[in-house]
Amino acid sequence: MNLITHTQLKGWLTRMMTDKTIIVPTRAIEGLALYQPVNSPDAIAFDFTQTAVSPKGFFLPASEALLTIEHVRQTAAESDGPEWNAKLCEPELERDQVLFAIRPCDAHALLALDALLLQEPVDAYYARRRERSTLIGLACEQMGPTCFCTSVGFAPDDSRGMDVMLYPVEGGYALEVLTEKGRGLMDGIALESYRGGRPQKTWSMPEFSVPPRAVWAQLFNDPHWNRLADRCLSCRICAYVCPTCRCFDVRDNTVAQGQGYQKIERLRCWDSCMAEGYRRIASGHNPRPTKSQRLRNRFYCKFDYYPTDFGSLACVGCGRCIDQCPVNVDITEVLQSVAAMGALGANTTRL
Amino acid sequence: MINAYMPRLGRLADIQPLGTGIKLFKVRLENGGDTQEFTYRPGQFAFVSAFGVGEAPFGITSVCGIDSTVDFAVNKVGTVTRALHEMNVGDIVGVRGPMGNWFPMDDIKGKNVIFLGGGIGGAPLRPVITSILHNRDHYGNMTILWAARNPNLLVFTNEYDLWRQSPRTELHLTVDEGDAGWTGNVGLITALLQKVKPSPDSAAVILCGPPIMIHFAIIELQKMGFTSEQIITTLEAKMKCGIGKCGRCNIGEKYVCLHGPVFSHVEIKEFLESFL
Repeated sequence: MNLITHTQLKGWLTRMMTDKTIIVPTRAIEGLALYQPVNSPDAIAFDFTQTAVSPKGFFLPASEALLTIEHVRQTAAESDGPEWNAKLCEPELERDQVLFAIRPCDAHALLALDALLLQEPVDAYYARRRERSTLIGLACEQMGPTCFCTSVGFAPDDSRGMDVMLYPVEGGYALEVLTEKGRGLMDGIALESYRGGRPQKTWSMPEFSVPPRAVWAQLFNDPHWNRLADRCLSCRICAYVCPTCRCFDVRDNTVAQGQGYQKIERLRCWDSCMAEGYRRIASGHNPRPTKSQRLRNRFYCKFDYYPTDFGSLACVGCGRCIDQCPVNVDITEVLQSVAAMGALGANTTRL
Repeated sequence: MINAYMPRLGRLADIQPLGTGIKLFKVRLENGGDTQEFTYRPGQFAFVSAFGVGEAPFGITSVCGIDSTVDFAVNKVGTVTRALHEMNVGDIVGVRGPMGNWFPMDDIKGKNVIFLGGGIGGAPLRPVITSILHNRDHYGNMTILWAARNPNLLVFTNEYDLWRQSPRTELHLTVDEGDAGWTGNVGLITALLQKVKPSPDSAAVILCGPPIMIHFAIIELQKMGFTSEQIITTLEAKMKCGIGKCGRCNIGEKYVCLHGPVFSHVEIKEFLESFL
């Protein structure tokens, strides 16, 4: 490990900005802690526990064009065959990006997304951004009031998924290089070695455990889900702030139109299984018509289906959905209720 | 890196009416996207794009190696299907696929095969029937139960004679509601099943239709002595990607696009969440 001082850190980041997009926590928008690309290290806000929105958008943007389709109607003279011609273009790649001061939970979320999106057939857009991104992690000094990473198998100073990890210490940060990609960022920077070792911390938040699969199966038809969903507004904010929710919609948008010419973007946008029409097919059939079924799907996806299909929980304990839910649906309460009900046996809920 | 969201380009080589609001689109693929061979098996599906409107998944009704085009039977019910219905021969569409699993054509060899097709649900069964017709000696008796809400919604009527003329093959039709010219069975496919009474001995049942039909047909088949192992169905779901990423088609931990669309009843009865 090395010691990097605050001054060295600024110089290091400034140098990276010449050929890379540097994404850091800022408070530029109404004081909210948010990851944003910046041109100067002075914009970094270090006074945050958790950003309001996860950095998943730098890998899976809220909206992106998957394809640009140019549709050209040929004149009879140019073609004696069919009169339409379509050309498909993939969007250009962006610059390499470095995400600075990424929290451990958000790096874990990327590992969870990798398990799905990098599985064959890979999601080429996500894969390219992952390949061109380097993560500089920043260990948390404390857990926030809604944090529960220690209950879902992680820790606030966990370096899994990071390329470089920083631990706040006296005089700057203890810096640990974890991957080749991380080493690539260190070229031409001379740092003193740090002999203090990894700072040891204890965490104050109460821990609980994620109920096993059998308990979830047992409670699938429990009335608890109806009661919980009564107050859900289907606003979908939980999915949008979640670092592991990746469900998306795909739509065509016509961006230019002229005589015999049409330019279309095929857009992919974040979506959420909380939406009423999410699973409705054109004939009108909707296999998940009630709010209760949809909210249940959210929790089963995170703690039962996703682990079964992709070998990883789809929850990293960041607590953002708890922070943002307008009606106080609390995922940690759900986990604890499910565990308690599981201990009592099926359909015994009195909650 | 292959981009699984990139459609190939295809041209509509032919468009045939199949019923009220239902058309058969025959697509000739061009070298758009990538140039890998487009090989597919009975039961697989593909996304068809009406550029500017969007794309949607459809079962492939043609048979790879037999038909020279990739065919889709499309019921005009939503935005993409409406746009497709307005297209003409020669127009360009996008085709992304093939996707999903397929019917176990080898496992059902030597067996009596019973088909239950409801409405446009007959579309993914057509390639299974056609494949069997081309390898008739490898399969036992074929009993086709074909249903629709009304006579104008019965699909592939122009192939009925071909099916009937094949050895050891029966075709039974029923409609929920007849019309002036209809002299055949009137009633649900479950009633037709009771009337035809196919034997479960050495048989396999292949179903496709609306979820409610699949649900009640399976109950009826079980009453008749068919085991879960003998019942194979395809399920439909709203989808956006077809490759297990968009999250939209899950039934519990199963994705219709990845683990299906073909499921045996052995799997279905273990579903935590209902497909209904």
